[in-house]
Amino acid sequence: MTSTPVIDVDRLNLSYGDFHAVKDLSFQVGKGELYALLGTNGAGKTSTLEIVEGHRRAGSGTVRVFGRDPRDRRAVRPRTGIMLQESGFSPDLTVRESVRLIGVLSRREDRVARLLDVVDLTHKAGTRVSQLSGGEKRRLDFATAVYGRPELIFLDEPTTGLDIRSRDALWDAVDRLRADGSTVVLTTHYLEEAQQRADRIGLMHRGTLHREGTVAELTRALPATIRFSLPAVAPTPPPPAARRPDGGFLVETFALQRELRALLDWADARAVELRGLEAGPTRLDDVFRSLDGA
Amino acid sequence: MLVIARSELMQLFRNRLVLITSFLSPVAACVFFVSRHELFSDLGSVGYIAAVVLFTVAAFGVHASTVTTLASRRQTLFLKRLRSTPESDVGILSGLLLPLIGLALVQVTVILAVLSWVAGGPAHAPLLVVAVVATLVMMVGLGLATAGLTNSPEHAQVTTLPVSLGAVAVTNWVGLTGTAELTVLKRLLPGGAATELVLDAWNGGAGFSESLLLLAPTLAWVVVAVALAARFFRWEPRR
Repeated sequence: MTSTPVIDVDRLNLSYGDFHAVKDLSFQVGKGELYALLGTNGAGKTSTLEIVEGHRRAGSGTVRVFGRDPRDRRAVRPRTGIMLQESGFSPDLTVRESVRLIGVLSRREDRVARLLDVVDLTHKAGTRVSQLSGGEKRRLDFATAVYGRPELIFLDEPTTGLDIRSRDALWDAVDRLRADGSTVVLTTHYLEEAQQRADRIGLMHRGTLHREGTVAELTRALPATIRFSLPAVAPTPPPPAARRPDGGFLVETFALQRELRALLDWADARAVELRGLEAGPTRLDDVFRSLDGA
Repeated sequence: MLVIARSELMQLFRNRLVLITSFLSPVAACVFFVSRHELFSDLGSVGYIAAVVLFTVAAFGVHASTVTTLASRRQTLFLKRLRSTPESDVGILSGLLLPLIGLALVQVTVILAVLSWVAGGPAHAPLLVVAVVATLVMMVGLGLATAGLTNSPEHAQVTTLPVSLGAVAVTNWVGLTGTAELTVLKRLLPGGAATELVLDAWNGGAGFSESLLLLAPTLAWVVVAVALAARFFRWEPRR
């Protein structure tokens, strides 16, 4: 990271009674980055996010956002947009009133109509929040978070409950904000979104940052896989192919292209059909699953 | 702060249940007392009616509404949402409570003005103003403290009862029996000293500076309430 980080977390700890929710956690997020903080349930990412957002006090360690204590709301919040995991709107206010209220309080300049257009809620502007669907509330939440194009945006499960069209629209809006230089911190259970969007990923497990890096860096540590099955009369393929409990075969390799070619050559030479052949690099899901064994 | 107050006022008028329980019900009770002012002034004094009016509005329009509003806004995570902005905690709370306090002030002013018109005005109007302000501040403080012990708006229907009913009961006790006996106890109970202050202000007979000493117990309750609120108040629902 070349410039001063937008977020700097150093040896962060947080306990709830005897339960150590966050243990010696350190990470940084640079300007313009999209950093995805992922983790298993109960990994401590919500606690971490709440501390970085300034909603919760750290047990020990230091957290700096724009070089300031994130609890210094007057200094940090005008530059920060927060999309909460849950609604947090007053049911008796309309969509327009909700965006205007949070927008005015954010001390940033923007037009309510523009934001409602971005999240496709213009036709619901006069509708009370209590009458919105779950997906519409998420879009309203996003609209308030990006009011005035903040420099730093926290997106906590932003696409939960959204249909595919709304998801695409949300990510298009995030892309535009990033093009303008905004930094984004994302938590999500949709790993493919993190894989596609994040510049770097922090994988939390049991309160610690278990792994961190780009998708390529994270997946490099795990082998790619080739999966196939054979007809009953076919000969046994050579190692490293190993039989799976379901009768198929699995090849785990760090040299996917070479192993795949060798396998295809072996099959051609014996005129064997490789049924259901699947070959692919390691996915973030595999990295995630590997946490369970950690 | 003012933008929060404006939105809160809109919500208040859109929620009929809150409007009826917090504002119309106390007004109806006060109208009853004022309309029967001859009967109640015979039982106590006109100052007693003024004290009952003040504490009825303060207990239900301010204390109970404060607790219900804060519990409700916390339950819907609206408080957390507001804390996601640069607005300070004091600004958020002031914005949320300003409409309640403002409406209570208007209610008390109008009802006491009507009482003055039909039964004669207060002997020391400035002292009455001090008593009204001190009472409302005390009930807001107790509301903040009670909100810390209240999990939901439904729970508020139970948690507000001790303070709301207690304060009204103390007002009736002090208003009807005076403070010649059990003086210290009556003055130390929440609302006791403030009731005596209203009686002095309306009925006269006590010196201005002597009466001002009665502010001390009321302000002490404010300090206690704020200390309790600082200890127990939560911005987010318990997990």
